[in-house]
Amino acid sequence: MPPPPIQLLPLATFTPDLYTRAWQSTPHPSLPLLATTHDKTVTVFSLATFSKHSSLTGGHSRSIRSCAWQPSSSSQTLRLVTGSFDSTAGIWTYNPAATLEKPIGQGEEEEEEEEEEWEFTLVLEGHENEVKSLSFSPSGQYLATCSRDKSIWIWEHLSGGEDGEEDEDWETVAVLSEHDGDVKTVAFAPGFKQGKRHDGRRYGSDCLASGSYDDTVRVWREDQDGEWGCVSVLEGGVGTVWGVEWEKRERENGRYQRLMTAGAEGGVKVWELKEEEGEEEEGDSRWGGVPNRMRQSLREEWEVKGVLPRVHTREIYSVGWSGESGLVATTGGDGLLVVYEEDEETKEWKVRAKVEGAHGPYEVNHVTWCRRFDKGAEGRQEEMLVTTGDDGVVRAWEVRIGE
Amino acid sequence: MREVDNANPSILNVSQLPSRSRKVTTPRQGPDSKCDNIVYSKRPWLCGSSSSEDEDLEEEYGEDPVDAQDIYDLISPISDPEHPHTLGQLSVVQLPDIHLTPPPAERRGDKLVTVTVDLTPTVNHCSLATVIGLAVRYRLEQTLPPNYRFDVRMKDGSHAQDDQVNKQLGDKERVAAALENDTLKGMLDKMLETCV
Repeated sequence: MPPPPIQLLPLATFTPDLYTRAWQSTPHPSLPLLATTHDKTVTVFSLATFSKHSSLTGGHSRSIRSCAWQPSSSSQTLRLVTGSFDSTAGIWTYNPAATLEKPIGQGEEEEEEEEEEWEFTLVLEGHENEVKSLSFSPSGQYLATCSRDKSIWIWEHLSGGEDGEEDEDWETVAVLSEHDGDVKTVAFAPGFKQGKRHDGRRYGSDCLASGSYDDTVRVWREDQDGEWGCVSVLEGGVGTVWGVEWEKRERENGRYQRLMTAGAEGGVKVWELKEEEGEEEEGDSRWGGVPNRMRQSLREEWEVKGVLPRVHTREIYSVGWSGESGLVATTGGDGLLVVYEEDEETKEWKVRAKVEGAHGPYEVNHVTWCRRFDKGAEGRQEEMLVTTGDDGVVRAWEVRIGE
Repeated sequence: MREVDNANPSILNVSQLPSRSRKVTTPRQGPDSKCDNIVYSKRPWLCGSSSSEDEDLEEEYGEDPVDAQDIYDLISPISDPEHPHTLGQLSVVQLPDIHLTPPPAERRGDKLVTVTVDLTPTVNHCSLATVIGLAVRYRLEQTLPPNYRFDVRMKDGSHAQDDQVNKQLGDKERVAAALENDTLKGMLDKMLETCV
């Protein structure tokens, strides 16, 4: 039986328009907030009303390229980190007093004092050139930043901001400089299933992937001594790697999450960690089948296990992998929004839906899956897609499966 | 002042440069056009969710669809960063090295149009190749509608680090960051002063 059709329907346009190239929109992991970077500003939208909630201005001297929400499990404070072309990352916290007066999720009604709502609390300095991307580890303890200076910095959040009094304290725990070109993107693996097969004695639980202008992807882990190192180099073959995206659903047999990479030459590849079979009885690790002396090597092997059908005619800038449905979406320089699905039996990826000119004639810089909080969602755990374009517009798309 | 890479480049006379036999750019008529210089001075194509939906961009731009000569006319007056001549005069930009896909006759609405420009720097180790390429890309982005995509490259074999320069010019993020660099932006603006 053929799978039910999937339709991509325009759901809403976030208001107001930003009237300048918008780079990226990042949904908060649990709250109904979406942060969009454009120019030297981040505009935070409410996902309940598709309208502006607040804005972060005045912290950076050049464009803000990317932003990341600190997972709230580690902190009661609403904290956003921004990566800017001015070579710094900025830590911003939301003023709790303002929160009381205006519940999160409500649209912006009054323009007054909005600049006060977000406090620019700390600048992370160290990179020599533009900061391109950043990512938090699942616990919120580590932050990775990457730059045109070819390096990735890992910062540890030690303390600060919990009661609004304490000073922010962030410490550099690693500088990783093995890439041969700009590091375009970094992404920590989701952390929900670490430890089942993973050998905690060898590595910490966090795993980072990075994509670069040098056309490669690298996978990084922390060893038991707290030293971060590159454990694998994935020769992408997709040109400059603009997007790396981890699988967000737990896999059968406790296998490690797959990784998707997308690049300038329009291809998307699916990578899988090569794991020893028949080691279940060992129980403790995927290294169980390997003699102890071999474990000294921290190298791991990642293989291409799938390729998405080639639809885009120009660069792919962004790839989003849904944790709910397993569907994948891509956008790029050709203005297409494409949704793919993996056939459960054949494991082949197929195009399930496509929108041409998702932002009219403009390039689409980013796509992300996002939980719906608007009234139309009727309380269901429904997902939508959010795209961000050169036209300064942020669009929400309903993904209708079946009729 | 830095040393000039090529002290004696060959220079074409203005009358030798390719031009269209008929004049295409008829000035707008009537009072509604008197503020055009202000309204359309920089990027005339409005961003935003409501713009360009009902307009045929090709029509908006002019009666004739954009062709290679139009592209040539836009970028050939750009000044070379080290010589007191234009890119057209120095043959850095050459009409046969400009291609548009799809060709003008097959275009419709705001479908994507890809403009490929292959540049021939005056000498093959020209350290300013990237700056020239950036100026060309910047000029085109500023003047053409948003459905145009630009591939600005060094002509095969014309430059010692072709791939490196081409990759850089094709990287949107790098181009965006470069335009926020005041020194570089000042240089580009100076090169574009000779564009009318």
